Order: sequence, then structure tokens, then C-alpha cells
Amino acid sequence: MLQALVDRFVQWCYYSKDYAFIRDTPYGVPLVQSLHLTGITLLLGITVVLNLRLLGLGFKRLPLPFLAEQLWPWAKAGMAVTIVSGILVFLPDPTRYAHSGPFRLKMALLCLALLYQFTIFRKAIGTDPELRPRLRNSVLGCVSLLLWFGVGWSGRAIAFFQ
Amino acid sequence: MSLLAALNWIQHLGWAVAIKESSLAFPLIEGSHILALSFSVGMVMMLDLRLLLLSFRSQPVSLIMRQLMPWTMAGFVVMLVTGLLLFAAQAVKAYGNTFFRIKMILLVLAGINALYYQLWYYPKMAEWDFGGTPRGVRIIAVLSLIFWIGVIACGRTMAYEL
Repeated sequence: MLQALVDRFVQWCYYSKDYAFIRDTPYGVPLVQSLHLTGITLLLGITVVLNLRLLGLGFKRLPLPFLAEQLWPWAKAGMAVTIVSGILVFLPDPTRYAHSGPFRLKMALLCLALLYQFTIFRKAIGTDPELRPRLRNSVLGCVSLLLWFGVGWSGRAIAFFQ
Repeated sequence: MSLLAALNWIQHLGWAVAIKESSLAFPLIEGSHILALSFSVGMVMMLDLRLLLLSFRSQPVSLIMRQLMPWTMAGFVVMLVTGLLLFAAQAVKAYGNTFFRIKMILLVLAGINALYYQLWYYPKMAEWDFGGTPRGVRIIAVLSLIFWIGVIACGRTMAYEL
């Protein structure tokens, strides 16, 4: 049932004229992929900064809630670019992705990462980490890094593995 | 020895062949190259945002620079090492690729841009450390963003046979 729905959706995407131009122009896919990677650079870069601060490994001269307040809008901008360009990579060539193991893993990890980012993580970076036990900060930071780099690595794996 | 002969010699070195032929080494090195963007270019972007007064306005540029610098440098070391390994594994092909050549030119331009900042504006930083930045610094920040996003786009586009 679910498989049939996925297949219908994939067919609809593939035959939709709206996205065919991306696959039919030689520079369409590279351009959208470049945007995707640029968004990732910003989003992942900010995530790394916030987590290094949370883990007590850097940026100690800047309070975490201040870092979060300054960087959060840019993390969201990077996220928007990444997601929109990501959808534009998927829609013109859905058969390549829908049946790929690494892509499915990537989507599952992405859902978890987004859920974590906008609930537990956002709350954690809004308060001073020095008020929490060290272990708790380590767990909070490591979960975030594992989820986001997990999304990144499984994304890379799409190009190399089935 | 001509350049092409040298590149041919490099890509036939034992370790270069091993990287190219390994089903795991190449994806791991390439994935590290791409995900280290979050440390290198990601953090350059954050400094550029400060220089453009789009983030951390209330903090001196020197403080933001000092806090970002060790991680940025670590990121660029990973980029350079993994980049050289990837190049060695496919030296002749990369050399012949138009987008690889544009990427190298953009890298040099980004380097000159950063050097100009270091030599011209950095020594006079005490004059503009707090609050607003000189027009020249803002131009450098915009150029930095253009060059680095260009590097990302050309690096990504290299993968396509265009």
C-alpha cells in the first residue's frame, strides 16, 4: 500500500513537466546541487559552532544564548536553501532516489534531526550550559552532531551505494 | 617531464591507485572533503556576516575572528589534505576539467582577497574593530562570499561530465 503510494508519487514527479527542465538542461542539476551544498555549508557550519560551544570546546568568550540568538536566523536561512534545493534535486529524478537505501536513511535522519533541532536543541542553546552538568551538555551536543553529520554522510552515500 | 606526464606519474603512484580503486576510501575521503566545508568555508561565511554587520554587530571583529580562527584553520587543513588525495587519485582527469580549473582560479582569488585583508585592514583593526566596518572591508567580505560559493559550485559541478 505504502509502496504503491510512493510509486505513484515517483511517477507523477517524473512525468511532471514542471521539473523536467532541471533534468533536461545540462547545468540544471549541477546548479541545484551547488545551491544544496552552499546551504549545507552554512547550516552545518552554524550547527558545528553551537555544538562546540555546548561541548565546551570553543567560542568560550561568547555566551551560548548570544551565539544562538545571532546565528539561529542564518541557520534557518541555510536550512531553507538546503531543503528547497534538495526538493529540486529530488523531483526531476525521483526514481534515482526513492528506491535508494542511503536516501531513505537520510530522510529518516533528517526528520529526527529537524525534530531535535526545533525542540530539545533550541531549548538547550537558549540557556547557559554552565548551569547544567557537563555530561548533559555532552549528550545534547553529541546527539545533534551525530544526527546532522549522519544526514550529511548518508547524503554522500547516495552517490556511491545502492 | 611535462606537466601531463607528471600528473600521469602521480595518479599511478601506489597509494593514488589504491584510493581510486577502493570502494570505501574514495567515498570516505570525498565525504570528509565535503563535510569539512562546515568548518572551513562555513566559518569564513560567519566572519563575513560579521564584517557585513549582518551578525554579531555588538561584538568586536577581532573577538569573532579569534574565536573562529582555530576551527577555520583545522577545517582548511582537512580540506587541503583530502583535496590533494582526491586530486592525486584522478590527476589527469581533474586537470582537464574546466570546472576544476575555474575552482583553482577562484581559490587563488579567495586567497589574495584574504591576504589583502590581513595585510591592509588587519593592522589597522583598532580603528574599526567595534561597530561599523570600512567600505573596503565590506567589499572584501562580499568578494569572499562570492569566491567561496563559486569554489563550492565548481567543486560540485566537476563531478558532472560537462
